[in-house]
Amino acid sequence: MHNRMATVYYDSDSIRSPEIQELRELWRYRDLLQLLVSNSIKTRYKRSALGVLWTLLNPLLTTIVLTVALSQLFRFRIENYPVYLLSGLIAWNFFSQTVTQVMSTLIWGSRLMKRIYVPRTVFPISVVGNGLVNLTLALIPLLVIMLFVHQPLRWTLLLLPLAMLVLSMFTTGVSLLLATVAVYFVDLVEMVKILLMAWFYLTPIIYPLEAVPPRFAWFIKLNPMSYFIEVFRGLIYDGCIPSASHLAPALVLSIIILLAGWVIFTRKANEFAYRI
Amino acid sequence: MNLPTASEQTPVIQLDGVTVEYQAAQERIPSFKEYAIRWLKREIRYQRFTALRDITLQVYPGEILGIIGPNGAGKSTLLKVVARVLHPTRGRVRIAGRVFPLLELGAGFDPELTGRENVYLNSAILGFPRRDVEKRFDHIVEFAGLQEFIDAPVRTYSTGMGARLGFSVATDVQPEILIVDEILGVGDANFQKKSFERIQQFQADGSTILLVTHSLQKVREMCTRVIWLEQGNLVMEGDAEQVVGQYLERNKKREESRLQKKRVVQKKKEAPKRWGNRKVEIIDVRIENGHDEEQHVFQTGDELRLRIRYHAHEPVDDAVFGMAIHNHKGIHITGPNTQVAGLDLPVLRGQGEVLFKVPALPLLDGLYHISVAIVDEQDTDTYDYHNRLYDFRIDNVDSSSIEKYGLVTLGGQWELLG
Repeated sequence: MHNRMATVYYDSDSIRSPEIQELRELWRYRDLLQLLVSNSIKTRYKRSALGVLWTLLNPLLTTIVLTVALSQLFRFRIENYPVYLLSGLIAWNFFSQTVTQVMSTLIWGSRLMKRIYVPRTVFPISVVGNGLVNLTLALIPLLVIMLFVHQPLRWTLLLLPLAMLVLSMFTTGVSLLLATVAVYFVDLVEMVKILLMAWFYLTPIIYPLEAVPPRFAWFIKLNPMSYFIEVFRGLIYDGCIPSASHLAPALVLSIIILLAGWVIFTRKANEFAYRI
Repeated sequence: MNLPTASEQTPVIQLDGVTVEYQAAQERIPSFKEYAIRWLKREIRYQRFTALRDITLQVYPGEILGIIGPNGAGKSTLLKVVARVLHPTRGRVRIAGRVFPLLELGAGFDPELTGRENVYLNSAILGFPRRDVEKRFDHIVEFAGLQEFIDAPVRTYSTGMGARLGFSVATDVQPEILIVDEILGVGDANFQKKSFERIQQFQADGSTILLVTHSLQKVREMCTRVIWLEQGNLVMEGDAEQVVGQYLERNKKREESRLQKKRVVQKKKEAPKRWGNRKVEIIDVRIENGHDEEQHVFQTGDELRLRIRYHAHEPVDDAVFGMAIHNHKGIHITGPNTQVAGLDLPVLRGQGEVLFKVPALPLLDGLYHISVAIVDEQDTDTYDYHNRLYDFRIDNVDSSSIEKYGLVTLGGQWELLG
């Protein structure tokens, strides 16, 4: 009998709580996480001639187009509409881009996951990290626009990192849940893209909450993204600390979704290599 | 070789009754919509595929364990279980050390990034701390011999360059457990030699190496122990020479019986492959080795004999015996006959035998088809023609000392004249 072994690094039987184990492994592979984020930013800016400039121009142009188009279309008048729009749009873009990218990245990462062990959460988390960098960069054109239209810069802007943290918790949770399902059904990626488009219009991003007819207001309240948009908009546009009625549901929901996503993903992760 | 016995040491890899089962829907249902429809109709059928069945195995420090078996035997699955990529369906895997798989090009590289950036990426994938890699960086690049190209994007690298870099990154630090899967054949001869030496040094220093390769010669040369897998089962385990020998023997037998079966079957339905007026009939054809024994699997350089039994139903004075060899692609390799060879046959009556001897087969690995024919001297009448009815195979055990390219070896010799 050779039941005694020196130092056991890995025992397929001993992983009783994969959620905790995964956290430990992710910490061990933090260098990889950091490299995946910095590399994906590097390759993206290497490829386009305009480089960083382009990613700054893009939201500026989008905002101009949307402002011109929408301010004619909608009857409501909002002061400094570009700032109003962009403050919600950056949060939405972070959410929707991260969710779609995590699903495809997990399928991309499969090549690697079939050959060598790396903590499986490394891929989704690196996409979230990448998204956070982009979100931060998107603040630059936003500030430029704010100065340009003489929107006062309030101290509440300094609280943005906290809002970003809560939003990325929610985004990570949703991404992990959807990515788990996407491993089994590839066409979910396309379905989610369509759903996200609908979701965008059902969230008060390009229009104010007040423009929603009262009989539909309950629906907006059920939409978690509308709380996050309100928080971002409050900090950037209104210069006010979000009220507890906005913050509490966003925070509680983020924690629940993140935990659910993490637990389900890590518990299913052993099956991924069999599926993809 | 003086290896410590099992009782003296504790294993670094311990598998207890490891079974890996893939449960795949019989047809692939990639879309959610399809799945939902079929689930409602209860139409999803699962098929179980057992890639590994109840494998129990210990590997000790300092061993080079070779894993052999045909395609689909479970060799790669076993490596994946050890590398922690696949979690066993049943059974237990314990590993006392960090496992480093040699990644093939592409898996751990980002082609858009430079060689330098990929060294760091690859190291991070293997779990090396960044600080260590910074210290070892120059050494890694030097071993790969890529100093001049290290800041060029990896997409501009040749396959060999990429593989060299991959090997260099993974083996810069002595690994506790190294997994080598069909990767040592890359790079130029010089690098191959260097990498072999490095692996052998690791073994001498107590690393454990798992090796999967199709080159049985390499298995014989390198491995201290070999396991033979077949359809997920562990068939045999033991000394390299012994297991490889048995494996070859089995393969040869299997091929032999397949070709023999084919021969019987082909005789039964030979009509479209046979023509002629049968005044002289070919009644039996045997492929033999140099000792008059029937054989269908040869090695380059072996003696081959073709024994043709005929029956002349009436006296024939102008018969010419011929044979032809085609390879499996239909290329006509040779077509000797008795007339060209100047063998003047007497009047044939009744039954008799003709023998064609090849003292040393110049053919290289592959499947070959033999045709046998009896025609008249003017080649106007065909008495009997068996078109590609008889098969034999060249299967070189030690392929390293035999030419690999083309159809034949000319037995030529190289000389350096200054």
